Amino acid sequence: MTEGFALAGEAPCAYIAYTVTGSAERRSCCGTLLIVTVGFFRFPETSSFLLPVARRQRGDHPNRGRGRRFDAESRAGIRGSEAVFLGSGAVERIRRGVRVPAAAMALSGMRGLSVFISDVRNCQNKEQERLRVDKELGKIRTRFKNEKGLSPYEKKKYVWKMLYIYMLGYDVDFGHTETVSLISAPKYPEKQVGYIVTSSLLNENHDFLRIVINTVRNDIIGRNETFQCLALTMVGNIGGKEFSESLAPDVQKLLISSSCRPLVRKKAALCLLRLYRKNPDVVNSDGWSDRMSQLLDERDLGVLTAVMSLFVALVSNNIDAYWNCLPKCVKVLERLAKNQDIPQEYTYYGIPSPWLQVKTMRALQYFPTIEDPNIRRALFEVLQRILMGTDVVKNVNKNNAAHAVLFEALALVMHLDAEKEMMSQCVALLGKFIAVREPNIRYLGLENMTRMLLVSDVQDIIKRHQAQIITSLKDPDISIRRRALDLLYGMCDITNAKDIVDELLQINLRSSQIAIISLQYLNTAEFAMREELALKAAILAEKFAPDLSWYVDVILQLIDKAGDFVSDDIWYRVVQFVTNNEDLQPYAAAKAREYLEKPALHETMIKVSAYLLGEYSHLLARRPGCSPREIFTIISEKLPTITTSTLAILLSTFAKILMHNHPSDPELQEQIWSIFRKYESYIDVEIQQRAVEYFALCRKGEALVDVLAEMPKFPERQSALLKKAEDAEVDTAEQSAIKIRNQQQTSNALVVTDQRPANGSVPVSQLALVRMPSENMEANSSHDQATSEVQVNSQDRELSHENGSINAVIPQDVQSADLLGDLLGPLAIEGPPAPPVPAEHKDHSLLSALEGTPEAAGPLALAIVDEPNSVQPIGNVAERFNALCLKDSGVLYEDPHIQIGIKAEWRSHHGRLVLFLGNKNISPLVSVRAVILPPTHLKMELSLVPETIPPRAQVQCPLEVVNLRASRDLAVLDFSYKFGIAMVNVKLRLPSVLNKFLQPISISAEEFFSQWKSLSGPPLKLQEVLRDVKPLPLSEMANLFTGLRMAVIPGIDTNPNNLIVCATFHSESSKAMLCLIRVETDPTDRTQLRITLASGDPTLTFELKECIKEHLIRIPVQAPTPVTPPLQPQSPVTPAYNDPGAMLAGLL
Amino acid sequence: MPVAASAIYFLNLRGDVLINRLYRDDVGGNMVDAFRIHIMQTKELGTCPVRQIGGCSFLYMRISNVYIVIVVSGNANVACAFKFVVEAVALFKSYFGGAFDEDAIRNNFVLIYELLDEIMDFGYPQNLSPEILKLYITQEGVRSPFSSKPSDKPVPNATLQVTGAVGWRREGLMYKKNEVFLDIVESVNLLMSSKGSVLRCDVTGKILMKCFLSGMPDLKLGLNDKIGLEKESQIKSRPIKSGKTIELDDVTFHQCVNLTRFNSEKTVSFVPPDGEFELMKYRITEGVNLPFRVLPTIKELGRTRMEVNVKVKSVFGAKMFALGVVVKVPVPKQTAKTSFQVTSGRAKYNASIDCLVWKLCIYTRIRKFPGQTESTMSAEVELISTMVEKKSWTRPPIQMEFQVPMFTASGLRVRFLKVWEKSGYNTVEWVRYITKAGSYEIRC
Repeated sequence: MTEGFALAGEAPCAYIAYTVTGSAERRSCCGTLLIVTVGFFRFPETSSFLLPVARRQRGDHPNRGRGRRFDAESRAGIRGSEAVFLGSGAVERIRRGVRVPAAAMALSGMRGLSVFISDVRNCQNKEQERLRVDKELGKIRTRFKNEKGLSPYEKKKYVWKMLYIYMLGYDVDFGHTETVSLISAPKYPEKQVGYIVTSSLLNENHDFLRIVINTVRNDIIGRNETFQCLALTMVGNIGGKEFSESLAPDVQKLLISSSCRPLVRKKAALCLLRLYRKNPDVVNSDGWSDRMSQLLDERDLGVLTAVMSLFVALVSNNIDAYWNCLPKCVKVLERLAKNQDIPQEYTYYGIPSPWLQVKTMRALQYFPTIEDPNIRRALFEVLQRILMGTDVVKNVNKNNAAHAVLFEALALVMHLDAEKEMMSQCVALLGKFIAVREPNIRYLGLENMTRMLLVSDVQDIIKRHQAQIITSLKDPDISIRRRALDLLYGMCDITNAKDIVDELLQINLRSSQIAIISLQYLNTAEFAMREELALKAAILAEKFAPDLSWYVDVILQLIDKAGDFVSDDIWYRVVQFVTNNEDLQPYAAAKAREYLEKPALHETMIKVSAYLLGEYSHLLARRPGCSPREIFTIISEKLPTITTSTLAILLSTFAKILMHNHPSDPELQEQIWSIFRKYESYIDVEIQQRAVEYFALCRKGEALVDVLAEMPKFPERQSALLKKAEDAEVDTAEQSAIKIRNQQQTSNALVVTDQRPANGSVPVSQLALVRMPSENMEANSSHDQATSEVQVNSQDRELSHENGSINAVIPQDVQSADLLGDLLGPLAIEGPPAPPVPAEHKDHSLLSALEGTPEAAGPLALAIVDEPNSVQPIGNVAERFNALCLKDSGVLYEDPHIQIGIKAEWRSHHGRLVLFLGNKNISPLVSVRAVILPPTHLKMELSLVPETIPPRAQVQCPLEVVNLRASRDLAVLDFSYKFGIAMVNVKLRLPSVLNKFLQPISISAEEFFSQWKSLSGPPLKLQEVLRDVKPLPLSEMANLFTGLRMAVIPGIDTNPNNLIVCATFHSESSKAMLCLIRVETDPTDRTQLRITLASGDPTLTFELKECIKEHLIRIPVQAPTPVTPPLQPQSPVTPAYNDPGAMLAGLL
Repeated sequence: MPVAASAIYFLNLRGDVLINRLYRDDVGGNMVDAFRIHIMQTKELGTCPVRQIGGCSFLYMRISNVYIVIVVSGNANVACAFKFVVEAVALFKSYFGGAFDEDAIRNNFVLIYELLDEIMDFGYPQNLSPEILKLYITQEGVRSPFSSKPSDKPVPNATLQVTGAVGWRREGLMYKKNEVFLDIVESVNLLMSSKGSVLRCDVTGKILMKCFLSGMPDLKLGLNDKIGLEKESQIKSRPIKSGKTIELDDVTFHQCVNLTRFNSEKTVSFVPPDGEFELMKYRITEGVNLPFRVLPTIKELGRTRMEVNVKVKSVFGAKMFALGVVVKVPVPKQTAKTSFQVTSGRAKYNASIDCLVWKLCIYTRIRKFPGQTESTMSAEVELISTMVEKKSWTRPPIQMEFQVPMFTASGLRVRFLKVWEKSGYNTVEWVRYITKAGSYEIRC
């Protein structure tokens, strides 16, 4: 009987599933059973290969790819069979079909329950079932409400029924009292149902659980092992913070006590894991490092597995404390994999406890390196054995287990950066996997190979398998094809700086093969993949083009074959390429001419051909069939079939042909004119305008040549295609080799570099956002220049918005300043190109603008103030800061390696910020340093920031703030880290601004007026008229004030255009200080308003006024241009004074 | 002529196609998959009978365990399509002997295909009358032309039947006893506020007839409706007799009614089909006599107790009686215990529908609820406390079911029913009235 209890306690979950439902068929298929139960208990984690098993058993899963991703996630993040219920022994027993003795199921006597279950099962449809369940629920309610009370038997029966109903998916929101009361019942059957139902009906945040803490504790410290098991199981499933506070010591005692049976101890380990997760303080790392290392000596494998789960969690949080456990882990691995010193029941298909192996290896991956050569050798021996000993066999379950172990071993090998021999062994093994017919295995092989690519020196080994990978590209399974493509794509890269030249030739060869293979393959590829394939082929061609004409060939071929899937970016890129390379122009034009001969042409092809011929057809004029007239005829043949966007390009082409029509051909001219006339009344405005303008221009004769001159060269910049690929990558594979590489090396795509004008004055608008890889190498000064130019450009944009007169001078320029658009943005939809503004003039005007606004540049420069970081922040740092001034949580800073988030709580003059430092990479960030530079009015205390941030981990650093008095000075976070060899240092403003210490308060009209009157005149009451205010509707302005933590009080001011705002300001010196604000707006002119502030402290009034002003006024811009006289802002504050950031920049 | 269907599908509850017939090729053959994926699997069935997916409209209806789905791609007449389905189902039922379900379809699929060909042509509905169709589409074996025995029945003349003036009646019918049955069936829909004011009230009625008459009789029906009486008084130039006249709204007639005569003389005259049919339908929104008054008081005493008092009063004539009177009082879902006191009938709590069900006509000896009487129920309801914060209980309305024979809520009466036939036989006319509850709801 005891054995029965123990077993039931061991696997109550499985127990419910088939005893409650009493179904024979569930008993027979344990796989389903496990999944059912695991799903039902909302288990976050389960054995690493339970999931794949589940997926594979559900053979009809609609999206295999997704399943795999899940599978990959489970491997990356959550691993380890911590299913408390499914202690591994039980799992194994169930899986092998050993039945848990049914005698333990005390349900046999409950006739009502089985009758109810069979009723429900006999229901024909959902409605009938619902009626039956509702009837039963009504009955249970009646019985629970019965004054006479229930016998323990009845109570047990009804609670079982409730659980069954809950399992069917109905809401059960009563009866918790009865359930919980069963926990304190003296007998096992009642206690058991109490525990099981409680842990499934309630969750950790439920208030009801508080009631049971005491009972649970009594069970845990009691002598009865079965009760201990039940209690531990429940706590392990739903234990929350309160549980961890009150139960942790007892659970720890159980875990380390030698008198307990292994069964209890392993539950205690998993229970402690749960409690630790809920509250990391329960495990004191100092005391536990020794205990842990003792526990890892455990002989009993069940306990060891559970302890290892706990260990993984502990280590992931604090590696340093557990260094002493490292040898123990290796020993465990040795014991399992080498000596195979384990009892029979812990082998699974001949593999010694795969669960434990996987977990141990996972734990080992948390340690950065292994210093001790002996241990290292021992570990490598084990790994070697695993790598050698794994093969693909027939049995699916064995495969799953073996592969789980193998892939973890691979991950460990990669982590430890093993010697080349081992790596090549891994690759060889993966190569075998790729060759297997079973798609799942092949998928895993490809995926892991992609991951292996990250380890730099296995590239050439992987390349040996290229043929096999290319075959995978033809696999019927789309997810395999994707992986194969990723891998191929990742493979084609320049890796070794040493022998770039040698490599280049080789890789070129290879990549061109691949591009062509992709092309061939495009015809048969599936819809969903074509676009990706086209994009990747284009990128590869671009990256490794052996010569430029080859590139043009490939892309034109690509457009021809897969026009539907070629995005505009691709053909823009070709045009850009050709424009920048003069040698290429005749060739490209001739190619385009050839393609136009084809009978059925894709629209994109027409676009690109028309564009190329328009620009460069004159270069071909002497070739046969390329006279302007012939070209005109062949292009105009396409007119009836095209859409308006293409039509626009065609019209430009005609205008250009006309322009090149030198020995004037009147007939051609007449034909083109007639086309323009025809489209003058076209329904689309864009086309109409083009036709009218071109027609008018044509009549101007010579002027036409000026206007329609050849397009100038394009500035060099990062390939938009690469950018696009990066974007697309985000959701495909979690770790894609490509992405990381693209971040590390800038595109070496375009061969032609930007040619700077001789006089050194660069057309500013074109420079903006242009990526100049060489720039980083240059001296600081040049970088500064570049950044300042960027700023000027944004200024310039700002100007163009406000100042019409400037628009008039450089309209074309301003248009092209819209840089974030497509490469050819202005080209594709160009109007007639405006006469080019003399560069000098333009430059002069902008430089003067630059000189005029040195301070205005301040806030923008502040983002990253000092040395040129090679890392560019993602998003606008200043904007992020501004947003954080209005809200309490968000991202402060982000770059490709790190993301700094902030979460703040403000209570009177205290503030608690938490900085979340998240490492986005798969390698650790080292030399992390964060220093707070507090202003005088804030007391700030930052807790210790760890030196390294582990890969893909997030570190939280609390920061306490105390406000001493009112001031608008800002705290600065000086943050630096090292990634690879690059040292990154950023200075970030922290949003511990004045308004955070405000608290909204609503007061009555009388109170307001009495206060308002008592605070009369400066310096307590200040008034100012603000101009150049951001035009906000009143409601939004009210929202702004609410965001600034002030209360907008309606109804006090009778004028609906005015706002009355109240708040209290908290500082250590003056506890709560009432601040009253009145904002008078002018409904006719939203850009100006009058603001009146009153508070009991003159500094506060002033500082608050300036603070509010910052949020209301847009950053003032001066426009000292030759056209408009310097229009100094009317607002009395100078920009430098206005912006605290600028002030701070001065300070720094 | 309105398009009614491009295709028609018969699906079972799982979404398998039992039978389908494509009438036009403007919808793809796989459109029904879209229906299965977008409608059946999203559990949106029953929310709206018309759905548009991918340029096609799906009009569907569930009849027992069969979904009938009509797919149209153009701008079809939805009402016509649904009417077509209803008529088609009636037709199938008359062929299959009353049952229409998955099994019936499986057993008769050849017949159904034959019928589907006949009742719709290129999306246009055709003759759906069972009497006519049964003449041509028979379930009997076909007689071999070489069979020696000559057929005793004359071959029916299809064109005459289909195009003829009296397409709904065969010639040469003969009955020993000539009888006409006429039922006026009304159902009362009511929504009453808790304070007793009527929010919505109307009566939908229909006149059902069953004729067993020989030859080609011509019938004339007189009701006490307003227009008919006024016209009559005009013709006969004498004032309307005192008494109630009824205004009928939305009158629809069976196709046998001679509409020209109705327009000119305002009398309903017709040559009836043989057997059962629905002569006319009407609706009345004003001057409805409500047969029952319900006075509920529901008090919530604290969080776990409720007191329910319901008084039901019959307000029809004392000589009449009601049958099958049931009052359903909704209670919250967490009802645990109930106790009742009733003056008549029996009440109990039904957990499946979350209602207190009070059947008034159980213990009275003759199971009747006489007019001008009243009966009360008072109940105490105890609720169980739940974990979630008390859900706001929306207090659904009290529902009531009843039947009152020989009573019309509208006050409609048959003034006369005359039968003329060439042979001048005597007929027996039977007239019956009944009023039922439609959705008879009282808010509480």
